[in-house]
Amino acid sequence: MAKSKTTLRYEFLKGLWDENPILKSLLGLCPVLAVTNSAINGLAMGLATTFVLLSSSIIISSIRNLIPNQVRIPAFIVIIATFVTVADRFLAAFFPLISKDLGPYVPLIVVNCIILGRQEAFSSKNSVFRSIIDSSGMGVGFILVLVALGGFREILGSASLFGVTVLGDWFQPWLVMILPGGAFLGLGIFIGIANWINDRRARA
Amino acid sequence: MNLTTKMIVVLTVLTMVAGGLLSYWDGITSPRIEAYRLEQLKQAIAEVLPDHESYDEVKADGMILYIGKNSNDPEPVGLAFEAIGNGFQGKISIMVGISLDFKKINAIKILEQLETPGLGTKIVEDPSNKEDRFWFPNQFKNLITEPQIDVVKNIKPGKPNEIQAITGATISSVAMATILNDGIQKAKSIYQLKVQ
Amino acid sequence: MEEKTNEQEDQKSGPEGADPSLEKSTAPEKDGEKQEPVKKPETPAAKPKPAPAPKDPRDKLFKPEQTLIISSSPHFHTHDSVPKIMWSVVAALVPATVMAIYYFGMDTLIMIGSCVAAALVTEIIMNKMKGEGLTINDGSAAITGLLLALTLPPSLPISAGVIGSVFSISIGKQIFGGLGYNIFNPALLGRAFLQANFPVAMTTWTYPNTEKYAQIDAVTAATPLAQFKFDKIVANYGDLISGNVGGSLGETSALAVLIGGIFLLIMKYADWRIPVSYLGTVFILGGLFWFFSPGNYPDPVFHLLSGGLMLGALFMATDMVTSPITTAGSWIFGAGAGIVLVIIRLFGGVPEGVMYSILLMNAFTPLINRYTRPKYFGEVRA
Repeated sequence: MAKSKTTLRYEFLKGLWDENPILKSLLGLCPVLAVTNSAINGLAMGLATTFVLLSSSIIISSIRNLIPNQVRIPAFIVIIATFVTVADRFLAAFFPLISKDLGPYVPLIVVNCIILGRQEAFSSKNSVFRSIIDSSGMGVGFILVLVALGGFREILGSASLFGVTVLGDWFQPWLVMILPGGAFLGLGIFIGIANWINDRRARA
Repeated sequence: MNLTTKMIVVLTVLTMVAGGLLSYWDGITSPRIEAYRLEQLKQAIAEVLPDHESYDEVKADGMILYIGKNSNDPEPVGLAFEAIGNGFQGKISIMVGISLDFKKINAIKILEQLETPGLGTKIVEDPSNKEDRFWFPNQFKNLITEPQIDVVKNIKPGKPNEIQAITGATISSVAMATILNDGIQKAKSIYQLKVQ
Repeated sequence: MEEKTNEQEDQKSGPEGADPSLEKSTAPEKDGEKQEPVKKPETPAAKPKPAPAPKDPRDKLFKPEQTLIISSSPHFHTHDSVPKIMWSVVAALVPATVMAIYYFGMDTLIMIGSCVAAALVTEIIMNKMKGEGLTINDGSAAITGLLLALTLPPSLPISAGVIGSVFSISIGKQIFGGLGYNIFNPALLGRAFLQANFPVAMTTWTYPNTEKYAQIDAVTAATPLAQFKFDKIVANYGDLISGNVGGSLGETSALAVLIGGIFLLIMKYADWRIPVSYLGTVFILGGLFWFFSPGNYPDPVFHLLSGGLMLGALFMATDMVTSPITTAGSWIFGAGAGIVLVIIRLFGGVPEGVMYSILLMNAFTPLINRYTRPKYFGEVRA
C-alpha cells in the first residue's frame, strides 16, 4: 500500500481524485467560487493557476537545498508572486477579454493555498522531476474541477458551453447558477457527489 | 557563511532575479496592454461619434472630454466623454456621444459594468429579446436630454426624453439614467469653462 | 443509537437455537423475548431442555417487529403519527386549493399535480441513493410539493414548478438527512430558488378569471402589495378576503387559508403561538407606521390580508421541523419574522417578504432553541 503510493503514476493520479485539491482538500476555493460562471473562465483560471504551480514547483524544488528553512515561506511567496505577475500581465496583453472577466482573481492566485501548500508539502522535499509530476497532477485536477463546475453552471445558467449555445429556446436559463449563489450550490453538489462515490467505493 | 548571511543573500538574489524577470516581461507586455486600451477607447468613441475623423482631448476635473472633428466641417461634430456612476452592484462606466449643445445624445456604449448577470446586464445586451438584443442601449440613440432623461416602466416611452426600464432590473435602468444625467451636467460645465 | 440496534440484531441472529443456555441468559433483555417464539418451531425435536416458552406469560404481550424505532423529530407523546399529521395538513390546504382552482382555472390542478409528483419522485430517488426505505408515505414530500405550488404565480410554466419542487426535496430536505433534519422550510427554499432563477416569471402575475377583471388586459397584473408599494392603491378588503386579486395561486384568499389554518390549530398540529405572534407583530408594527403616516404606509388590516402572510404564518412558519420547540422560542420566532416582514414590505425593494422573513427566522431557529432552553430544576444562573 505504502509502496504503491510513491510510484510516479500515483504521484500524478492522486491529484485527480484521491487528493484532489478542491474536492478533497477543499483548497483554493476562492477562485473556484468566483470565476466559474463559465467553462472558459474556469479553464483560463485553471491554466493560469497550473502555470504558476508548475513553474514555482520547478524553481523551488531545484533550489530547495539553498533556501534556509527559516525564510522558506518568504522565498516561496516571492517566487510564486513573480509567476503570478507574469501570468497576469500575459493574460492582460494577449487575452484582454478573459483578463477582464477574471478581474482581480488572477493576482489573487498568489494567496491560493494549493500553490503554497504543494510547495511546502511536496516541492521543498522532493526532486524536480517528482515535483513536476505532482504539480501537473494537482493542476490537472484543479483544471478539471474548474472546467466541470464552470460548464455545469454555464449550461444551466446561460444554456451554453464554451460560449456555444447547447440548449435550445425551450430552456429557460437558471439565473442563479451564474450568480454567486450558484457557485456555492454547484460546488456543494460536486463535493457531495464526490463523497457519495467514495462512500460507495468504500462499502463495496 | 553563517545562517543570517545566507538568509540575506538568498532572499536578495531571489528578489533581484524576480525583479529583473518582471521588468523584462513588463517591457514585452505593457505596450500591448496600452495599445489595447487605446484601441478600445478609439473604438468606443467611433461608436458614439460615427462622424468624427480625429479628436482632441480636454482634461479637467477628473474627466476627459473628447472633441470629435471632421475635416469637412469647421465645427466639431460632437463630444464624447466617459460618465461613471453607481449601478446596482458596482460602478457603471458609459461612453457618451453627445451633440455640442448637450441637448441630444448621439449614442452610448457601456465600457464597464458589474450588474446582475441575466438581469442588469441587459443594459448591454438582452439575449431574451429576439428582435433586438440591444434594445436598451439603442433607446439612447438620439435621446433628448432636456430637462433630463426619465425612466418609465412597463409602457412604451411617450416623450423624446424617456427610456423604458428593463423588467426586473429597474434599479440598473434608473442608475443608467442618473449616471447620464449627472455626467452630462458635469461635462457641460467643463465644456463651457474650458472650451468656450 | 444505531450501533446499539446492530448489536441487538447480531445477538438475535447469532445464537439462533444453537445454545439455549446462552439464550436464557439474555432472556431478561428485550431480545430474549423476541427470540423465543422464533426458536420454538425449529427445536421441538431436539428438546435439549424443554423450552418453557409456551408457558411464558410474556408471549401474550404485543410484540413489535422492531424493538427500537428510531425516528426523526417531531417527537410526539401522543397517538399522533407523522403521516396522520401530514395528511391533516394536506386536508387543511384543501380550501385554499379549491379557491385557487376557482380563480385561476384547471391549470392550477396541473401545476399542483406536477409539483406533488415531482416531489414524490425526487423523494424516491433520494431514498434509493441514500439506500434507505421509502419515506413518501409520511406525506411530507406531498405537502412540500403542494405548498410550493400554492406559492407560485398562476402564469408560471409547469417546468419551473417542477424544478422548484425537485430542488425543495433534494437540496431543501434530503441533503440534510430527510424529514426532521432540514434547516429551512423546503417549500420556501424551493420558491426562493425559483425566485432567484426566474425573477421575471416569478413576479409576473395574472388576474383571477372573474367578472371584475374581464375587461382588463390580464397580461400584466399586479398584486395588491405591489399596487400599494408603487402606486399607493389599496385593494378593498372584500376582494382580499375572498381572493379576488392578483397573486400566487393559493395565497389570494385570506379566508380560505384561515379556515384551513384554524383547523390545524384546533387539531393542535400547529403551534398557535407562532401565527399569533407573527400576525400580531405585523399588525402592531404595521399599525404603528400607519398611525403616524397613513398616506405612506398601508393600514394593518391590509397587511394581514394581503400577500402570502396568512399562508406563510399558518402553514410555513409553523413547520414543526424548522421552528423553535420551546414556548418562548415560538413567540420570538413569530415576532422576528413579523419585524423582518414589515421592514421588507415597507422599506425593501420588493413588495412582499413573507418568504424571506420565514427563511431568515428558520436560520435563527437553532440559536433561539439554545437560548430559550428551559433551565434545569435547581440550576444556578451563571
